[in-house]
Amino acid sequence: MPRIGTSIRIISAVAATALLAVVVAGAASAKPARQTSTISGAGSTFVAPLVSQWISPIGGAYGIELQYSAIGSGGGIAAITARTVDFGASDAPLTSDQFAACNGCVQIPWALGGTSIMYNLPGVKNLLHMDGATLAKIFMGQITKWNDPAIAALNKGASLPSTAITIAHRSDNSGTTYNLTDYLSSVSPAWKAQLGTGVAVNWPVGVGGKGSSGVAGVVSSTPGAIGYADVAYALANHLKYFAMKNNSGKFTTPGARGILAAATSDQKPAADNSLSIVNPPKKFANAYPISTFTYVIVPMQSSKAADLKHFLFWAVTKGQTGTYTAKLRFVPLPKSVLVVAEKAIAKIHS
Amino acid sequence: MSTHDLSGPGLRLDRLPRRRRVNHVMEGFAWLAAAIAIAILGIVVWSVASKGWSELNLDLVTKSPIPFSLTNAPQGLANAFAGTIVIVGLATLMALPVGILVAVYLNEFAPPAIRNGVGLVLDVLAGVPAIVVGIFVFVLLVSGSGQSGIKGAFALAILMLPFVARATIEVLVLVPNSLREASLGLGVPQWRTTLSIVLPRAIGGIVTGTVLAVARVAGETAPLLFTSSVVGTQTHWDPSQALQTIPVAIFELSESADPKDHARAWAAGFILLVFILFASLTARWLATRNARKIAGR
Amino acid sequence: MSAADATAGTTRRPFTGRRVRFGDVVLQLVAGAAALGATVLVGLIVWKLVDGSHLALSKYGLGFVTRVAWNPVVGHELYGAGSFLFGTVITSFFALLLATPFAIGVALFLTELAPRALQAPVTALVETLAAVPSVLIGLWGILVLGPALRTHIEPWLHSALGFIPLFGPPSAAGASIFTAIIVLAIMILPIVASISRELFRGVPSELKEGALALGTTRWEMVRGVVFPYARGGIAAALILGLGRAMGEAIAVTQVIGGGVFIHWSIFSTGDTLGSKIAASYQGASTNLQAASLIYLGLVLLVLSLVANIAAQWIVRRVARRHGVTRGGHA
Repeated sequence: MPRIGTSIRIISAVAATALLAVVVAGAASAKPARQTSTISGAGSTFVAPLVSQWISPIGGAYGIELQYSAIGSGGGIAAITARTVDFGASDAPLTSDQFAACNGCVQIPWALGGTSIMYNLPGVKNLLHMDGATLAKIFMGQITKWNDPAIAALNKGASLPSTAITIAHRSDNSGTTYNLTDYLSSVSPAWKAQLGTGVAVNWPVGVGGKGSSGVAGVVSSTPGAIGYADVAYALANHLKYFAMKNNSGKFTTPGARGILAAATSDQKPAADNSLSIVNPPKKFANAYPISTFTYVIVPMQSSKAADLKHFLFWAVTKGQTGTYTAKLRFVPLPKSVLVVAEKAIAKIHS
Repeated sequence: MSTHDLSGPGLRLDRLPRRRRVNHVMEGFAWLAAAIAIAILGIVVWSVASKGWSELNLDLVTKSPIPFSLTNAPQGLANAFAGTIVIVGLATLMALPVGILVAVYLNEFAPPAIRNGVGLVLDVLAGVPAIVVGIFVFVLLVSGSGQSGIKGAFALAILMLPFVARATIEVLVLVPNSLREASLGLGVPQWRTTLSIVLPRAIGGIVTGTVLAVARVAGETAPLLFTSSVVGTQTHWDPSQALQTIPVAIFELSESADPKDHARAWAAGFILLVFILFASLTARWLATRNARKIAGR
Repeated sequence: MSAADATAGTTRRPFTGRRVRFGDVVLQLVAGAAALGATVLVGLIVWKLVDGSHLALSKYGLGFVTRVAWNPVVGHELYGAGSFLFGTVITSFFALLLATPFAIGVALFLTELAPRALQAPVTALVETLAAVPSVLIGLWGILVLGPALRTHIEPWLHSALGFIPLFGPPSAAGASIFTAIIVLAIMILPIVASISRELFRGVPSELKEGALALGTTRWEMVRGVVFPYARGGIAAALILGLGRAMGEAIAVTQVIGGGVFIHWSIFSTGDTLGSKIAASYQGASTNLQAASLIYLGLVLLVLSLVANIAAQWIVRRVARRHGVTRGGHA
């Protein structure tokens, strides 16, 4: 009967296709002679520009394919806690609860940079002056126009328009937010009381952007906007940023000098390897007050220990050289921090 | 069904000029509404087409992305194209047999109560938002063990299932009972009847439903955000790891500040749209052809 | 149109007394397992969401649904779905309000007014729009619609209607509830339009011609015959469109701006259930936040299920009343 022949043909065609699919999938995944091994990581958008520069030299040096997904520090912590990636990256140090949840993770400082406060105001020069108290009021929505007396007082000689200020903040959990709110909490008691420090806060005003590039996107498309992100994003998108007043009265910028000066204010990592260099005291005259170390979070016991150690040793030494860091305004790790970092990396085992 | 009372004073001839005016106004509204709706639809489609077309180049499909590129090295979205093909393909392989089996059960075996019940279940499943399916698969499979292309495909398959099942049922119904009865009367067991006689006649509708389902999920972003979004830049075809997909890539690029990223997003979106349109048109053409064939027999 | 409708009216009882072969049993078992699996799947979705959110469920209970708060600062954590539920309801309802006249207009146009030559291209255009993925509409919303609204439409609306609190100062960044409403309206318009078109086409022509023969104008015929006949189906289409709008996460999160508080002005930023989940999906900083996000998903699921089941119930009731099976056709 021809129909049965057709049906047999159909059934066997489907079965063959399914089999082929299984074979192909199996072959693809069971490639034993893998030319490259893969290390996957996720987290901080702050450090993402620097990590992206590392991808191709790491591949060349060790044959490791580095995959990094910039989903925000909160996402990085969650991902490594759930062990869905091999390492996480966060600018906000882990809390004790997060350490407990991560179950045997260690955080290691692996880069040093600064958060720029970017603004979009056509016809006005770059590097306008700003100080912490005024910035807190702006982010709390208490100062709403560019020609507010508080801003004008800091910028005598610049003619500021009456454009409304639009705040651009992070809509995801962000270590950059942690850095900024840490700073604002230390310069503004009102901020500390109402909003506090965190990877996300209850922003009273503003538009949310996803990731540092989302915030940069909002700022660059909205005249009158003020946002915050690692200075690499301001540079990449040709955005202006403020010179911030530090405790010694100087207005400093997030460049190598300002960030390095801030880093000298805390040279000894704490027991959990965290450092706090926000709003340094006034003897650090050139410090940029919104600088931060950023951390890689790895489990001390990992099946990819060998590759991880190769990658991390490289990152904290060769990865800090000017070829990778200078254009992005990251600063090489200070010696004391480097020593601690290398000790921690050495402890990773399989 | 009720209708207005069409007799009575409303239809009086002396009211005719007024009624005609009302009619003209209403017809005008309808034309206007249609024109505005069509204009907006046209604007959207035209925006995607025109912005995407100008950015279209071969690099998009062959080169990998270079995040934070400080040079102007050519880059593209090769990893996303590969990943979409793999994940959508796997989702189809998962959803197709299950959908056909569900339809076979409902149409060939199930008593009416079960048929209505499961039919309702399928329609409810079709209404579950894609993001909820994403959370579900995340909590079920990803949490604690990691993302992968297979898990993404599973999420998409859940979205495809009601479409495939519904389309299959609709064509199974159209297969005349007389064929089944004749086959059974000749002593062919029911399972063979179903597989050899009924299903082959329904192949056209099944293919149509599958193509439509593929068109639907090819552009789905939300479930893949949870299951296959932590990815690298290299092109991979291995579904046991997380793969980049076109909708997720567009989503990420759309929130960026860089106009070059936007350009790539438009171009990728254009290709995606063309593919979906092509699939939908193919499905419609197949459906018309089938309807003609069945009517002809 | 729906699965159960298509099979109603056909019988599939096997002949009594027929010998049951092993193959029959196998096929029935396998196919039955698939059907069972589909049913179990829906229950599993609900269960897994409840399970994943139980930390927030046990801590906040049902009060979560109406509380307007989302404070993620460790030590002061407090979460609630209130503002997102408000955002979902507002954006979806207004989107439906905006889209319905146009959708019905298009459907009427296609069935009653359009010359034959226009019918096919316009139908094709409507179906094309239905096929555009939400992420593309969101991309268009961010890059084209948002800036256009911000520069032209919102200032005009604010100056003309600013005395109504609904039309506050225009958004600065183009990301606002208003943009989200328009984006959602564009997404549900093709759905409502094509279902309405099917319904209008299904009105028996004898009824329409009879009315016209009695001397009604075309509008009176539509109002008196087509609308009442299609009333139930249109209600179902509207509810389906509403459900679709409520569940849309991606396009909304791209254009809505992510605000937590409830504002009266539609030009301010806001957030919806789906959009909040999509924005925060990848990293909850604490287990409580993760559970709260899943709780948001649970609320959204309940909303969509209610809308969906209501629509299905109306469809089945209408089908039964009309006594025909709307098996649908390609």
